[in-house]
Amino acid sequence: MNFLERLQNNRNALGLLFMLPAAVLLLLFLTYPLGLGFWLGFTDAKVGRDGVWIGLENYQYLWGDAVTRLALFNTLFYTFVASVIKFGLGLWLAMLLNRNIRFKTFFRAVILLPYIVPTALSAIAFWWIYDAQFSIISWMLVKMGLIDKYIDFLGEPWNARLSVIAANIWRGIPFVAITLLAGLQTISPSYYEASAIDGASRWQQFRYVTLPLLTPIIAVVMTFSVLFTFTDFQLIYVITRGGPLNATHLMATLSFQRAISGGALGEGAAISIAMVPFLLAAIMFSYYGLQRRAWQQGGADK
Amino acid sequence: MSANNASSSTDTVGMSYLDTPSRKFVTIYLPLIVFLIVLLFPFYWMAITSVKPDNELLSRTGNPFWVIAPTIAHFKKLLFNTSYPAWMWNTVLVSVVATFVSLVCSVFAAYAIERLRFKGSKQVGLSIFLAYLVPPSILFIPLAAIVYQLGLFDTRWALILTYPTFLIPFSTWLLMGYFRSIPYELEECALIDGANRWQILTKIVLPLAVPGLISAGIFAFTLSWNEFIYALTFVSSSEVKTVPVGVVTELVEGDVYHWGALMAGALLGSLPVAFIYSFFVEYYVSGLTGSVKE
Repeated sequence: MNFLERLQNNRNALGLLFMLPAAVLLLLFLTYPLGLGFWLGFTDAKVGRDGVWIGLENYQYLWGDAVTRLALFNTLFYTFVASVIKFGLGLWLAMLLNRNIRFKTFFRAVILLPYIVPTALSAIAFWWIYDAQFSIISWMLVKMGLIDKYIDFLGEPWNARLSVIAANIWRGIPFVAITLLAGLQTISPSYYEASAIDGASRWQQFRYVTLPLLTPIIAVVMTFSVLFTFTDFQLIYVITRGGPLNATHLMATLSFQRAISGGALGEGAAISIAMVPFLLAAIMFSYYGLQRRAWQQGGADK
Repeated sequence: MSANNASSSTDTVGMSYLDTPSRKFVTIYLPLIVFLIVLLFPFYWMAITSVKPDNELLSRTGNPFWVIAPTIAHFKKLLFNTSYPAWMWNTVLVSVVATFVSLVCSVFAAYAIERLRFKGSKQVGLSIFLAYLVPPSILFIPLAAIVYQLGLFDTRWALILTYPTFLIPFSTWLLMGYFRSIPYELEECALIDGANRWQILTKIVLPLAVPGLISAGIFAFTLSWNEFIYALTFVSSSEVKTVPVGVVTELVEGDVYHWGALMAGALLGSLPVAFIYSFFVEYYVSGLTGSVKE
């Protein structure tokens, strides 16, 4: 046998060869930067200057830095509020779409649009909707007689926080709704029929049939949702750039400002790395969800 | 996945005969329509603003929801007085090449993990899933340093080579699911008939996985079209910017916002993905749900 034939019959060699292109790209541009990020977080690297090891100094500085603390608070607040509302509205929308309705495919296709188009571009539309002088929301509220002065959406800290959260919810609902809809479609209608015969109300059907069967997929979907919300960058960067008075800075936008705009690579990397523990917690949660799903479908109980 | 969707359309009829038309309207259609209006309003607003002349944009009288004298001045300005066409071309180029590269890598990787079952393929599969969960916003700072060291800073290659870091894990994960659904027996038959691995992959597995390839391709294309943070960080000259970055960084001049041109830019940048998406909705949805389902 020549070399080629032997290669073809060797699983390990062939497997290695097939994995090579993906592995090279991922190791060079994903694993290596991840490690480099950890290293940079312990150095005082600046743009154009290799840093030296300074231990935990970056983290100590950031811990005492009021802006970083505010960004951490903002990130947690933004993630928590946006995720809870996205889940509630997304589940509701998924259940509406799961009913026997007309134009179902049309509704489903159109509802995904906010998720399809570039977020940076729809964020510009929100920026315009939130404009202090020409906001369409203020215009409508004034015409309805609910307010007499235009709302300064992006100029007041709490207004700005809630405005960007609303934009994030708008963007995230389609993802939650469509993925949960896929989960709902796997629930057999005979459960609902059986529970109806036993006299269950709609609420009881939801509470004791839908929710338990949907829990595993909810865990996975919400993990993804939390992950993307926690590390969000585009919406904030485009709508507020972290302002007013850093009231909407998230960890990601702050790390961009410090590392790329400000040139302090080490400090920026430390901020990004500080997000990792939170992400790991989310991933563990997802793993738990996947395990439970496998168990529910008759897989081994681990 | 598609089988699920097909059967469910008949399944959900279930107990809906209990609903009276008026009750159905209030509990289903009314909330649905409200959802629809809220989700679509920003697009309507984008479109109507992009054709409004400046004097209508900046007046508080009249009905802002409609336009009296539509104009294409903003689009003209965008196409002839800015680098917008170049950004568009860059976005197309980068998205197509990055998607293609990622798909090729993913097909090989997914086939190896799912079917060659080399030593450690389980662990590799798991690490692909973990790679999928690493968000770009914690990678961009060290990646910027690497891109700079490699001399790729401010080139299209910087984007083409870094986009696969989020495209490959996703597409591989999706394709693994598709390959898993192809019966082993088909491959064994081919082996007995004297086909080699390459022939099995190209003549048996790939033709059967075409829906998966389309799903992964559409998804990867929209992800690269929409990418923002890498394009913002790794590129600084106007000629190599992508549409999202170009619109955000160059159409905003000082304190005077040219809302008409901004909205026209946002609309034009959104239309191509929306257009492609409209042809492949089913594939896109199965890609989206497949990515969280397995």
